[in-house]
Amino acid sequence: MITTEKPQNTRIETPPRRARSLRRRIWPYLLALGPGLLAASAGNDAGGIATYASAGAAYGYGLLWAMVIVTVCVGVVQEMSARLGAVTGKGFSDLARENFTLRTTAFLLLTLFVANLGIIVSEFVGIAAAAELFGISRYIAVPVAAVLLWLLITRGSYANMEKIFLVLTLGFLSYIAAAVLAKPDWGAVLAQTVRPTPHFDVGYLQILIALIGTTISPYMQLYVQSSVVEKGVTMDEYRYTRFDVVVGTILAGIVASFIIIATAATLFPRGVVIDTAQAAAQALEPVAGPYASLLFGLGLLGASLLAAGVLPLATTYVMSEALGFERGVSHSWEEAPIFMGLFTGLLAFGALLALIPGLPLFQVLVGVYVLNGVLLPIELFALINLVNNRELMGEHVNHPLYNVFVWTIAIVISLLSLSLIVITALGWFGIAL
Amino acid sequence: MLFLTTLQGSPVVGKGDEPIGTLSDIVVRIGDDEFPPISGIIVRDRRREFFIPVAQLQQLNGVARLNSSLVDLQRFRRRDGEVILGRDVLDHQIIDITGRRIVRVNDIQLTPLESAYRVIGVDISPQALVRRLGPRRLAERIVGRQLISWSDVQYLASAAPVQLKVSYDRLSEINPVDLARIVDALSLRESAEIVAALDDETAAETLEEVSDERLADLLEDMDQERAADILEEMTPSAAADALEDMDDEISKQILARMDPEEAADVQELLAYDEDSVGRIMSTDFVAIGEGSTVADALTLLRQLEEAPDPLLALYVVAFNAPDAPAMQGIRHLDRDDGPPPSLRGIVRLRSLLLADPATAMTTIMDDEVPTVHPEDPAEHAARVLAEYNLLAVPVLDDDQHMLGIVTVDEALAVLLPEVWQRRHARSFV
Repeated sequence: MITTEKPQNTRIETPPRRARSLRRRIWPYLLALGPGLLAASAGNDAGGIATYASAGAAYGYGLLWAMVIVTVCVGVVQEMSARLGAVTGKGFSDLARENFTLRTTAFLLLTLFVANLGIIVSEFVGIAAAAELFGISRYIAVPVAAVLLWLLITRGSYANMEKIFLVLTLGFLSYIAAAVLAKPDWGAVLAQTVRPTPHFDVGYLQILIALIGTTISPYMQLYVQSSVVEKGVTMDEYRYTRFDVVVGTILAGIVASFIIIATAATLFPRGVVIDTAQAAAQALEPVAGPYASLLFGLGLLGASLLAAGVLPLATTYVMSEALGFERGVSHSWEEAPIFMGLFTGLLAFGALLALIPGLPLFQVLVGVYVLNGVLLPIELFALINLVNNRELMGEHVNHPLYNVFVWTIAIVISLLSLSLIVITALGWFGIAL
Repeated sequence: MLFLTTLQGSPVVGKGDEPIGTLSDIVVRIGDDEFPPISGIIVRDRRREFFIPVAQLQQLNGVARLNSSLVDLQRFRRRDGEVILGRDVLDHQIIDITGRRIVRVNDIQLTPLESAYRVIGVDISPQALVRRLGPRRLAERIVGRQLISWSDVQYLASAAPVQLKVSYDRLSEINPVDLARIVDALSLRESAEIVAALDDETAAETLEEVSDERLADLLEDMDQERAADILEEMTPSAAADALEDMDDEISKQILARMDPEEAADVQELLAYDEDSVGRIMSTDFVAIGEGSTVADALTLLRQLEEAPDPLLALYVVAFNAPDAPAMQGIRHLDRDDGPPPSLRGIVRLRSLLLADPATAMTTIMDDEVPTVHPEDPAEHAARVLAEYNLLAVPVLDDDQHMLGIVTVDEALAVLLPEVWQRRHARSFV
């Protein structure tokens, strides 16, 4: 007779319909939490942490008000990039090639490539510094981190990759803990956050520019746009993505502020001047205890790992898009040799360069930030041009009032970036302001 | 050989060699011609751009020479049906039909053909990019082209911001699986354009292979009547998956527009959980009464309007519907016909062909077969198929009534890791 293969009592119970429809309603929001959050967090990378830490050490709570403004700017720029991706379904370099001249596109991509390469190196330097805070040799930590990131991105499933990256962003919470351990004067923190206190000396201006430069980086915009496109977000679901962008930006802004608070409460009163995240962590130890120092190190590790994973990926996507290679980490080596080769090369190059003993790292980083400073205005104006292109965006172009705001931001950021370049260039010729 | 990027920037002169401006772009009419003829050139003089119709054009090579010295300086305006090569084709993506892939146009080849200058091909080589980037004098030194004939590409009308009547006949040369990969890789607007051009059946076959998110977006955005037509052509389980991924309101409206019979099938599947056997099972199988002979079975198969494909086996059943004759065969299970039949055994096609026509089906049937329950997880059915080396496994409900079958095709889709199914890059963040 017919045999029933499985005893009836082991049958899987189907969940009730109501629970399933609830899952379906919350799911889009959870799924959407990703691109915006990751992009904004990747902006708080090793270079960013160093900038925030030195801002706090040099000017106390005096730059907290600027973080509020910078965060609003980041949010606006990220939102435009995400919207551009959602409406057109194309990445930034796709759009650049279709709408600007080939030479403009090539210039954008080349600058972006070199700048990102430099930042990748700086992330691996961050990993090395963080590992050494925990007593692990950089010659072990950096290669291990590079191999793990490579395996995670090329061999793991995408879902796992995003989960692990999101867990790494939790590392940023350690800054909040470190700041609390530093026992800041919360009243002063609040007052300085809402009341702008601009100074007009060169050092202050320089650090203000650096703050903007490290917080609004071109690669964040490119990343958020490519990932919105890759995720297949359309305008119907755009509200989820906008939520993600806003949440991510605010979180990143809060984290950055807490880094400033941590060093402002401890290093500023004692007049300790620092210029790297590692120095900040070490300087924290005698003041706020070993836990604050370790938490700072943990945050640095998480941030550098995250950015060291996101950056090579974003760079490879952008290059492939423009040049028309087969793209995607879900392809095998044979199917997408150029994509995989480029990605592997970027990761390996970053790790190797970070291990060269006696590398004039500081100079390299300054060069990278100058390059980013050149790129940022071009990229911003290109973005505004595209997002206002009615042929591309239809009814989703910027509102005229929003445009006034956006143009002001772009012009101010560009002027600041340009002045940073001028200051640095003058420095190269031995002229200090 | 003429190429767009070498023509751009070349001088435009009048009848008596007097300079008029420089060639800025070329306008073509994309319509019924295999190789679209140019309808004119856009000339730039200082900051002003104006259009010169092809009738005034005497020569294009090197120097564009006009046959008169009088030109209409009216500012150029786009018109429907006209495509500007430099803006709407160059640097845009088009589909390479023979290569079954998306390529980016790095240069455009033109030639005088049948009394007109026509677009005859596109260059997709990286060398073309290098030539355009470098200084003009060096451009000729860089050799190497990868030309695709215009008759082998599909231009996407959504690349141009005007109304175009583009023929999509060539798409039919690409098989639905490759077409699905292309649909997945393009932007939503471009993929909607492609799907809109396909007939319902091809669209259904293509969409069954497209990623879930893209499928839901495409169906939500298209005309509901058309979406219903496409869903009717899809297998009920693929249609159920698609409807479930869509916005609840829209999916209800589309379901209401579908043929009631097809809609009922889909709704039946929707009652089962997403990853259950019930969802992937096919209700398309041939059942025959237990009193029949091999000859009856063969006759029944031949009389079927459309036999299931693949046809793997016949199911010998006892019909439970009150008015069902003992020997009647059914294909497509219909709930309205009363309770489903009880399964007695399976006769594989091979046994059926080899047996003597007079043999009773019950003597050649196999009655020791594993079965699965509609609420089992889909992977369970896949495991049963693999363990017992079967091509299909029957699905029985609590009362041992036969509801459908799960074939190895459907089970394979469950077993393959997700990375494989979403072959394309749409998995990055």
